[in-house]
Amino acid sequence: MLENVKEEIQATLKKYPVKKSAVMDLLRIAQREAGGHLTREAMDEIAVLLEMQPVEVNAAAKFYTMYSVARPVGRHRIWVCRNISCSLMGSDHIMKHLEQALGVKKGETTSDKKFTLDVAECLGSCGTAPMMQIDDEFYENLDAKKIDGILKGFK
Amino acid sequence: MGLQPINPYKRYIMVTVKINGKEITVEDNTLILDAARDAGYEIPTFCYQADLMGIGSCRMCLVEIEGQKKLQPSCVTPVLHGISILTETPTVMSARASMLEFLLANHAMDCPVCDKGGECELQDMVYKYGPHKGRHAEPKFKFHEKDYALSPVIIKNSNRCVQCMKCVRVCREVVGRNVLGALGRGDHQEPTSFFRSFLDCDADGNCIEVCPVGCFMRLPYRYKTRPWDLKGADTICPYCATGCRMVIEHRDGEVIRARAQLGVGMNSETLCARGRFGYEIINSEARLTTPLVRRQRHGTLEPATWEEAFRIIKERMPSLGGNTVGGIAGARLATEELYLFQKLMREVFKTPNVDSGSRWDAAAVEGFIAATDMAEGGVSVFDCMEADTVFVIGSQVSEENPVTEYIIRRISAGRRMNVIIAGPRAMKLDSSANLLLRHYPAAEAALLSAVILDINAAKLAASADLTAAKDAKLDGHLKAAGLTIDDVRALATKLRNSESIAIMAGTEFLRYPHGIESLNLLKELLRSLGKKVRVMPLLDRSNQRGAWEMGVHPAFGPGYVKAPAPGLGISGMLDAAADNSMDALYIAGADPAALYPDEAHVKEALSKVRFLVVQDIFLTETARLADVVLPGASFAEKDGMLTNQEGRAQIIRKLLPPPGKAKVDLDIIRALGEMYDRSFGPKNAALVLDEIRRAQPMYADVSLAFNNKRNVDNKLDNKAALVKGTKAALTIRKFEQAASGQDAQYPFMLATGNHLFHSGRLTNYSKTLNDLMKGMTVEISEEDALASGLAAGERVLVSGAGFSVTLMLTVKKGTKRGVAFIAENFDAAPVNRFFRKGKGAPRVKITKA
Repeated sequence: MLENVKEEIQATLKKYPVKKSAVMDLLRIAQREAGGHLTREAMDEIAVLLEMQPVEVNAAAKFYTMYSVARPVGRHRIWVCRNISCSLMGSDHIMKHLEQALGVKKGETTSDKKFTLDVAECLGSCGTAPMMQIDDEFYENLDAKKIDGILKGFK
Repeated sequence: MGLQPINPYKRYIMVTVKINGKEITVEDNTLILDAARDAGYEIPTFCYQADLMGIGSCRMCLVEIEGQKKLQPSCVTPVLHGISILTETPTVMSARASMLEFLLANHAMDCPVCDKGGECELQDMVYKYGPHKGRHAEPKFKFHEKDYALSPVIIKNSNRCVQCMKCVRVCREVVGRNVLGALGRGDHQEPTSFFRSFLDCDADGNCIEVCPVGCFMRLPYRYKTRPWDLKGADTICPYCATGCRMVIEHRDGEVIRARAQLGVGMNSETLCARGRFGYEIINSEARLTTPLVRRQRHGTLEPATWEEAFRIIKERMPSLGGNTVGGIAGARLATEELYLFQKLMREVFKTPNVDSGSRWDAAAVEGFIAATDMAEGGVSVFDCMEADTVFVIGSQVSEENPVTEYIIRRISAGRRMNVIIAGPRAMKLDSSANLLLRHYPAAEAALLSAVILDINAAKLAASADLTAAKDAKLDGHLKAAGLTIDDVRALATKLRNSESIAIMAGTEFLRYPHGIESLNLLKELLRSLGKKVRVMPLLDRSNQRGAWEMGVHPAFGPGYVKAPAPGLGISGMLDAAADNSMDALYIAGADPAALYPDEAHVKEALSKVRFLVVQDIFLTETARLADVVLPGASFAEKDGMLTNQEGRAQIIRKLLPPPGKAKVDLDIIRALGEMYDRSFGPKNAALVLDEIRRAQPMYADVSLAFNNKRNVDNKLDNKAALVKGTKAALTIRKFEQAASGQDAQYPFMLATGNHLFHSGRLTNYSKTLNDLMKGMTVEISEEDALASGLAAGERVLVSGAGFSVTLMLTVKKGTKRGVAFIAENFDAAPVNRFFRKGKGAPRVKITKA
């Protein structure tokens, strides 16, 4: 399945003196190619490419929230920060509101495959708590009204 | 003080620290944990293990350092000069209790059905330090509902995990398989395989042994007992010459577990699959439980009493047998038994024909002993690992001596040193090596000769003529070994640049003895260059070294004292038998019919012996040919001593009585002797050991006291147990390289040795070990598989001159092209049928079946 991106992979491998170090880049490419999540087959392929054990690739992928291992996701991923600052500022309410607005529970994907709702540990924006991340963007100082507006923006 | 033996090449910087007010001096960079434990303070840990790299994840070892606000993990914090450490303050105690409370928050708490209950580190620690009431009311997080099997020997319950990751680390750092991963993070981190799939691994169960809780468990042992219902014996593993200490435990007479102990023996907590799961041979249904005799010539073997068996022996075995009587003892018998065996042969039967093992030529053995300095006393593997360069040659150490391999991997990863491996087959240890030399089977001699030439050429400023002659010779060696000049130069350079060198020489030198002379030459040459050279043999039978040191050899008696008149070794005895001139042969604990390299010859010879007595624990190939079969005892049924490949004498202990009418081998040998000479003895193992100690300087003050002593700080190297050196006159005979019996239409050279899961034919009686294999295999290189259009997993026909067998193909990356490997352990694929006496490595061809 990584056949289509052979050249990109070769170019990526050149960036690292040690093959293994390319694991995160390759996971990112594989996730993109599979439409947002990592398959077992893709991790097997990466293991062969980087001369690693498949379980090491799996362990790297499982460590980071941005990879979704063997779980198909929607077009957009939402991470709601749940660490101390955000919790104190009401991240529970933010989550509840999102669950209501999207009609899914935390960890699920909407039936139109548009959003996947997840939590994250500290995203490093405590000064603007409560906050969430959608795809690559931060959305800060959240309240219910603001969230409705943000979600409307994703058509 | 310091945790490792003092190394003369190292500069020690000492610092002074205070621990709980007590001032102590330790080596700089010592971990606080080690320093505190050495000072006598107890610090609880889950994730710390001396053999593994510290990760400081379990936080049980937190200590207070005066002047620092936060507690520090003592297992990853080195001491600093002048600091004051407190290990038992209220803050520390409450931190420990909190850590345990967190661990219990999601812990399964199913102790009543957990196999670990009663010997669980978490249980013990909560009992000692923990909160006795939990405050977590939230529902527990669960990884999975039902336990799942990870391999035929591992059953897993991740809900009990404490995230110490010792399983993952031992698999990577010690075993070198790296098939377990830490998936996820925090308390959701699960150590498991790729998608929890079935593992294709070494099945050694070290992950089970290091697990402090009931997360990794033995599948064969599951729900069989509670640990307090077990009775155990602290003993030695009988399956290779590494000599791992282990405890075997039985319940109601059935041995159901073998385990290693942290800090005990050179292996500490590690074992291989054979040691940990090979105990089933002890209670095997196939054990011999009564003497068998053949009442009519060409009749069948029938059960008999000991009296009848002994009467037949007395009638047919002449007491002054002389040259027409011989004895072969297996290298798995205890040292005391081997000593008495050769005494019986030499003093009662008055025959010099005595040998040990089933495979090696006696003259080759003598040369090998001399070349590996065995008569000069024991050499610790830990001392070898202090060298600048470790050179492993002639051994499939990853499969034949797995725990020695763990030691090489673990220590070499932590220090700057060369690990050089020469051998035809790729193996797991290759990843620890910084130089690999892939030569043809039986080409150790050519490789060593080439490197000797290269080192010598650099030493002497030779004339042009000499250089030309040298180059021609060198070319010949390189061609014979299948190596390039760059390979040899790389090896020579590494040897030249090392001050201290440890050569680990394996059994290939015994299989193909023409390499012994070159091995000895290289050793002498390096010494003449002022290098410190240690040689350690790598052997595959638990008491092979003990057998030789007890004089179970035709050319020398106990302590390598030259025999007045040398007798016949196994090859000589078989030749004599084939010539119809052997009256009687007594074989105890050896199976030459299955293992001697030339099956047709050995079977013909044994069937021509006029009277054959075989003593063993199973009806082996050899026993089937016998006139009288005597049932002996397994390692679990006797007291005695084994000497491992390093020359470390260690004791085995009796756990159970032998089954049925079977007897301890020492008692059988003694009773046989007494039948001819009433004063034959000594009468028991302890007295035999006394006699050995009196007669032999090598064993005079060897300490056996190490047994059962747990040392928490991993001082695994007990030098007091190493045998001492002696003066021996051993000769290294020159062997010519024998030509292979087959021609070039057979493209593969056949290599053989022990399979990772087996030791000789003995372990074939362990169901668990057999179940680990998907079938008997032949292994070739990736390139050869590709070139011949064969794929791994396929059934292939392996044929040599006169024999062919269908096996499953396995493919190994990095193995020399043109080399095929079949293990010597399988009854259904007797690899010794490919070999011909007097010929070199056999050749075979491999085709689709």
